[in-house]
Amino acid sequence: MAAGLLLSACGGGASSSGNSGSGSNVELNFVFWGDANRAKMTEAALRIFEKKNPGITVKTEYQDSAPYADKLATRFAGGNPPDVLAMANRSLLEYAQRGTLADLKSFPELNLDKVPETTLSRGEVDGKLYGLATGVTTIGVVINKTITDQAGVTIPDDKTWSWEDYAKFATEVTQKTGGKVYGAGYDVATETGPIILARQRGEDFYTKDNKLGVSEKTIEDWFQYSVDLRKAGGYPPAGFFEQIGGSPAQSYLAKGTVASQIIPINNFRGYNEAVEGEVVLLRVPGETTGERRGYSADPTMLWSIAAKSKHPKEAAKLVDFLTNDAEGAAEVLTQRGVPINPEVADAITPKLNADDKTFVDLMAAIQEDDLPPAYVYPKGASVVADTLKQLTTEVEFGRVSPADAAKTFMEKSNAAINK
Amino acid sequence: MTVLTKQPPGAPAPAAAGGKPRIRPSRRRKQRSGYLFLLPWFLGMLFTVIPFFASLYLAFTDYNLFTEPNFVGLANFQAMFEDPRLIQSLKVTFIYTFVSVPISLAVALLVALVLNRGLQGLSIYRSVYYLPSLLGGSVAIVMLWRYIFGNDGIVNGFLGMFGIQGPAWVTDPQFSLSTLIVLNVWTFGSPMVIFLAGLRQVPGMYYEAASIDGASKWRQFRSITLPLISPIIFFNLIMQLIGSFQTFTQGYVMSGGTGGPADSTLFYNLYLYQKGFTEFEMGYASAMAWLLLMIIAIFTAINFIASKFWVFYDN
Repeated sequence: MAAGLLLSACGGGASSSGNSGSGSNVELNFVFWGDANRAKMTEAALRIFEKKNPGITVKTEYQDSAPYADKLATRFAGGNPPDVLAMANRSLLEYAQRGTLADLKSFPELNLDKVPETTLSRGEVDGKLYGLATGVTTIGVVINKTITDQAGVTIPDDKTWSWEDYAKFATEVTQKTGGKVYGAGYDVATETGPIILARQRGEDFYTKDNKLGVSEKTIEDWFQYSVDLRKAGGYPPAGFFEQIGGSPAQSYLAKGTVASQIIPINNFRGYNEAVEGEVVLLRVPGETTGERRGYSADPTMLWSIAAKSKHPKEAAKLVDFLTNDAEGAAEVLTQRGVPINPEVADAITPKLNADDKTFVDLMAAIQEDDLPPAYVYPKGASVVADTLKQLTTEVEFGRVSPADAAKTFMEKSNAAINK
Repeated sequence: MTVLTKQPPGAPAPAAAGGKPRIRPSRRRKQRSGYLFLLPWFLGMLFTVIPFFASLYLAFTDYNLFTEPNFVGLANFQAMFEDPRLIQSLKVTFIYTFVSVPISLAVALLVALVLNRGLQGLSIYRSVYYLPSLLGGSVAIVMLWRYIFGNDGIVNGFLGMFGIQGPAWVTDPQFSLSTLIVLNVWTFGSPMVIFLAGLRQVPGMYYEAASIDGASKWRQFRSITLPLISPIIFFNLIMQLIGSFQTFTQGYVMSGGTGGPADSTLFYNLYLYQKGFTEFEMGYASAMAWLLLMIIAIFTAINFIASKFWVFYDN
């Protein structure tokens, strides 16, 4: 009953951030989402920050992304926000447009000279910078080459392949493995897929003025593509995917029941280590067969500073360190994407292992081309994401047609964004 | 039957048996220690009463967690009528309640009747059957349920032995809610224990008299057991109903917080939580909490009125 409100009442109680430092010693509260491995690497970097900035100590907290989002909301609501925090693309403006985040451009401590304009624009609204990319990444196709080799299926050239090629490839894998392995197991419900498809067709999924720019037709085609692929056998039957979230080790690629997935490519190393056999990383289909390039260098996540932080200067120093310090970056490597400061990215490249190098190289190759600009996710983007997830299931089980689902998607998304 | 060994009339009260009458401690001191013992309750109440009234106020505002709430009158309540997901969440919650509560009460009563026949090692059986109701609402068990009913889970494995291809219990919107209903029925332990206590209160002489008159077991059950434990059935019904309307954990864990697949497990409280904590519409969420209170109050009231016709108080 009133449990929801009780929750909010005790939300901020857990952490002891704030004014513990009197005068010389300042304690920053720094929160992010991720696993223990990411936390370990981050802590190592923070010890370097503390050594370089005597008088500042950093206390971290981390969770999985879903509980993290809940806790963040309650902490802000309770007036006890962390000083520096990791923010998801789709949540940034939900916070920023409620006045809870500081303008990062207002801090002289934070040097943004080396950061490309295209990266800054992903955290910017009305000339104010509310989130700075922790690094950049994009999505790509991972294929278990051991399976396709055994089945005798050739992997198409990813520089020129179309969405039809991918479908043909996937269907062939399913056929030649006797239905033991499905050729494609990409996630229909995550917005990064239709975002790229829209861009390839000359549409901006989210426009410069923070609206929904994708057409109903594109969404319908996105749904229809999975329906057709399932019918042809290249995609698993309805109800096959039941793992929520999950690490590379829990993925269907690692289980060997699908031969390909679409993933955020900064996770490539995780997948190659989790999968028995050789995994290759490919560009998404349709990059050269569409109207224009769909790719963009997307923030893996964003750093923000709370408007109510009691130590904004020190917080800005920390964000500057996370962005511009090569020594610190050498501890974190490409955990949160390719560093946005090119000098830092170059400095850590020799330290990368082969898989991370593959990721960084592909990222660099993609950015050599002229990519259309991309913009910050609007307020309401999390409702858009939820709507897509829900409609994907409806389509999957044949409860609504792709056309009707697309219509509903447009209505609900527009309502959420224009509210 | 311990219940039947009543004290003979006129026997001295146990306290008076200790010889000289003592001086009674002052009423005041007694009261003070009484309040002292109640202190945790008062403190607990504080944490209930304050959010209680806060949410009543917030229900009439546009509170979004971050900025000062503005009074919006009945707008939140009006918006509810046009909210398809709210309607869906009510549908899910009602189906869940009206299917799982009767079944779980029936199962609880049945098991209680069996256990009441005086088994060897009753306390062990009682604990075994009670255990699920302690665990059923926990995250770990719901996770376990996901695996049991998963595509490669025990249930489909069992069906597979007979050549039946089981459906996707968890991910198919047609079946996901029934999986949770089964989970809820499985936690029949707490009403069962209460039924068992109730059954032990039924005087054995009634059955003796009835069997001398030639009444069948079924007749005895209908005419003696049911009327005499009807207050217990009523109590269990109300408790299960209230608990079931407030279901949250099962839906949250099973669907990873989304209420999916396709909103088929979007319980009312789960939707309330989504509104409050992921869409930040705390005013609307508060209004929803009050609507739920009203719904529960109405159903409880209906039951109280209806109880006059079937609940029998033996005193």
